[in-house]
Amino acid sequence: MNHIILSPTVIYIAYFIQGIIFLYFIAINSTYTLLIFSALKDIVQHSYLSTTRSARRLLLSDSYYKPVSVIVPAYNEAEVVSNSIKSLLNLHYPEFEIIVINDGSSDDTIGILKRDFKLQPYTKPVRLQVPHAPIKAVYVSGDYANLIVVDKENGGKADAINAGINVSSYPIFCSIDADSLLEPDAVLKASKLFIEDDELIATGGIVRVINGCKVKDGAVSDIELPEKTMEAIQVLEYTRAFLSGRTGWNLLKSLLIISGAFGVFRKDMVLAVNGYRKTVGEDMDLVMRLHRHCLDNKIPYKIFFVPDPVCWTQVPYTLSILRRQRNRWHRGLIDCLRTNRVMILNPKYGKVSLFAVSYFVFVEVVGPILELMGYISIPIFYLLGVLNTKFLLLLIAVAILWGISINIAAVFLDNFNYRRYRKNSDILRLCLLSVVEFFGYREIMLLERVKATFSFRETSWGKQERKAH
Amino acid sequence: MFLTRLTSSPDFYTFLYFAVFLLAALNISEIVFLLVHKRSIESSEAKKELLKHRILTAAVTVTEPAEILERPRDSAEYEAYGEATSSIIESFEGEIAERASRLITEFGIDRYYIRLASNQIWYKRAHAIDILSSLKLKTNRDFFFSAFEKENSNTVKYRILYGLSLLVQGKEDLYAVSKMLSSLPYLTAKYTEDVFFNIVTALKNSGLEEDFGSFLREIMNDAGIIVKVKRDCLSACRAAACDKAGPVVREYYAAFQSEPEIIISCIKTLVGMGDFDVLPEVLRHKDWRVRLTALKYAHLSDSDIKEDSKTLLHDPNHHFAVLPSILRHKDWRARLTDLRNAHLHSTEILRALKSLLHDGNYHIRLNAALALSRMGDRGLEILKEETASPDKFAADAARYALDGAKTAS
Repeated sequence: MNHIILSPTVIYIAYFIQGIIFLYFIAINSTYTLLIFSALKDIVQHSYLSTTRSARRLLLSDSYYKPVSVIVPAYNEAEVVSNSIKSLLNLHYPEFEIIVINDGSSDDTIGILKRDFKLQPYTKPVRLQVPHAPIKAVYVSGDYANLIVVDKENGGKADAINAGINVSSYPIFCSIDADSLLEPDAVLKASKLFIEDDELIATGGIVRVINGCKVKDGAVSDIELPEKTMEAIQVLEYTRAFLSGRTGWNLLKSLLIISGAFGVFRKDMVLAVNGYRKTVGEDMDLVMRLHRHCLDNKIPYKIFFVPDPVCWTQVPYTLSILRRQRNRWHRGLIDCLRTNRVMILNPKYGKVSLFAVSYFVFVEVVGPILELMGYISIPIFYLLGVLNTKFLLLLIAVAILWGISINIAAVFLDNFNYRRYRKNSDILRLCLLSVVEFFGYREIMLLERVKATFSFRETSWGKQERKAH
Repeated sequence: MFLTRLTSSPDFYTFLYFAVFLLAALNISEIVFLLVHKRSIESSEAKKELLKHRILTAAVTVTEPAEILERPRDSAEYEAYGEATSSIIESFEGEIAERASRLITEFGIDRYYIRLASNQIWYKRAHAIDILSSLKLKTNRDFFFSAFEKENSNTVKYRILYGLSLLVQGKEDLYAVSKMLSSLPYLTAKYTEDVFFNIVTALKNSGLEEDFGSFLREIMNDAGIIVKVKRDCLSACRAAACDKAGPVVREYYAAFQSEPEIIISCIKTLVGMGDFDVLPEVLRHKDWRVRLTALKYAHLSDSDIKEDSKTLLHDPNHHFAVLPSILRHKDWRARLTDLRNAHLHSTEILRALKSLLHDGNYHIRLNAALALSRMGDRGLEILKEETASPDKFAADAARYALDGAKTAS
């Protein structure tokens, strides 16, 4: 092939770009590897301490708790809301209330709730502490005195949770998605930390994938990997994100995300930051503002991820839903970082700024653009004849093998203490998916993230689609 | 320049080839290790569960379980013994618990955990201390004292203190534990309360309940002990039903009028002891948290109206709303007296509650209404009047409480 003759400067620049990509790749994978090691340390420690007598005493005691309000925002969740609430009513917790907020659904969510739980009008005055769209009516279940349903005008997830906070009576609240199922002791395991540590202001448990599992009477009975490869890869992604990512951030005391699917918060602190802000990444935004509020006002605080309280959630089962979800997540991430930009490389915010915020800015936001640039520059450099093919092939081999290694390590972390997937075939399939992920799936997700980067001002959630559990 | 040189250097490619080879080997070994580890963990867990089952069965059914059980050989077996025996001690009393204690000393389970408590890794020490705490062996008291002296990690120290609080033998231990506690940063209200709850329970079991009252009196003016700890001691008094400390709690109430947290604890403790005299006064306290606490107990207050008790006892309209709370009192005579007067609440309290319906605080308004709804006909009448109040907030609270009362009836 005849190549264009280039000046030494262009060749120099091409090599320089390849070097930059190489260094960037080293930095990202080293970060993931360090997170794996710190997560391993945290999990080993947790395995010792969570099986101790004191932990068991906490779980068994009926006086060692703070009452909890479970807030469930629901928008067009007619398919799943009834089962989810039935599962919540079975929580092992001495004192809790469930507040379901029908956020102006266009389907029959409120009708199903009225029918299944014999709702009656509830006259308890609602105190306006955080802003939200107008409430149309509040109901209480005739069968379960601790089930309250709020029917309000549509305002988005953050707005719905704010309404739930206003209606709630207890000092701690747990926000969960309407399509999620909590394990019976999940709230107990997460909220006991608020008793053990006065400085704790927020915590989140692990979110696992319910697709492929069998659900009986509102509880997950048989745990298996989903058959569809796309859904199974998401199991791997969730395991990696929660067990190596969030557990790893614990060690640096810089956790920036508590999943919207399952988070437990001290209400007074959330009220102090004026509740949730209306954005598509409301979960991360709240945690960032909590960090900011405490650091600005020199309030000692802790925000932790705990790996054993489990929330099961339904992950997208079609590519279009998955792409919409990832697009929304990425827009949310950019919006949070933009709103809280004062925290970027600001010594006032210490480790949170230096490690976590920097990671999200330079790896999660800038990363996809650089990665895409890499994909685009390869054919260009090749056509220009400046592509170091040997370097490229070796770099791709190292990148994939290193990525696979990080994925398998995440599966190992899960298997070390929690062992949810019992079958060897499931474990081996997860290892295989660690390889498969790099061929197609990752690239599609990359394109969606890049697309989201250039449309981050959009605030739509996209159409929600659910399957019954 | 550096990057260009780096990517065109032959050594760099040797390094990359090596990295590819190493990562490939690492991936294969990770998968093998993952499967082997899974299998070994599953089999050791199954063995441990089986052994625990055997120990539990032997301790419950056989007089001398040591005769039919095998001595533990490795750490997994010691762990199984530790977990099983501590479960027995926590769940049983008397002969079965004694059998488990004998098994612990005969098989050296406690010695294993004492050795583990000197491990270099802090969470292993914490684990050992937790198990030793739940074994509740009096012989470990000295060990806990010396372990506290040697320990560097505060997390482990908190656990040692918890274990020690279960083994307190007298006034000297009580002072020693509180001194050790004040040498550590304050952890949580529940932790401190639990430590003192254990101490009060241990003292009560040894017939030394008065010692806790005199301890409370001595620390009352001790500036070295923070208010939070004093508050938690009072809460422990309530939780452990340390009735003999009643007069001291009254003294705290009088001395700490400017400390809402202490006043709240005093109210709860005094009400727990059946003393409602402070309620009318605290319902007008300037701190809303104090008023809120008082409201929770307002419906339990004594009456200032005397009526024929026989009639009341047979009148279901009166006392049943508060029956469950009254029945908690340990003395049947107190229960009967309260029962007789349950519906007849002090006129002063009713007046105070009525004005609290117009309080500026949401919680106070709501709880005042709820308290009135539990106070029989007189309370309900006040609520009905308030539903027509021009104060929308008071009217809403009254309507809510009336709805609740209707549902309950």
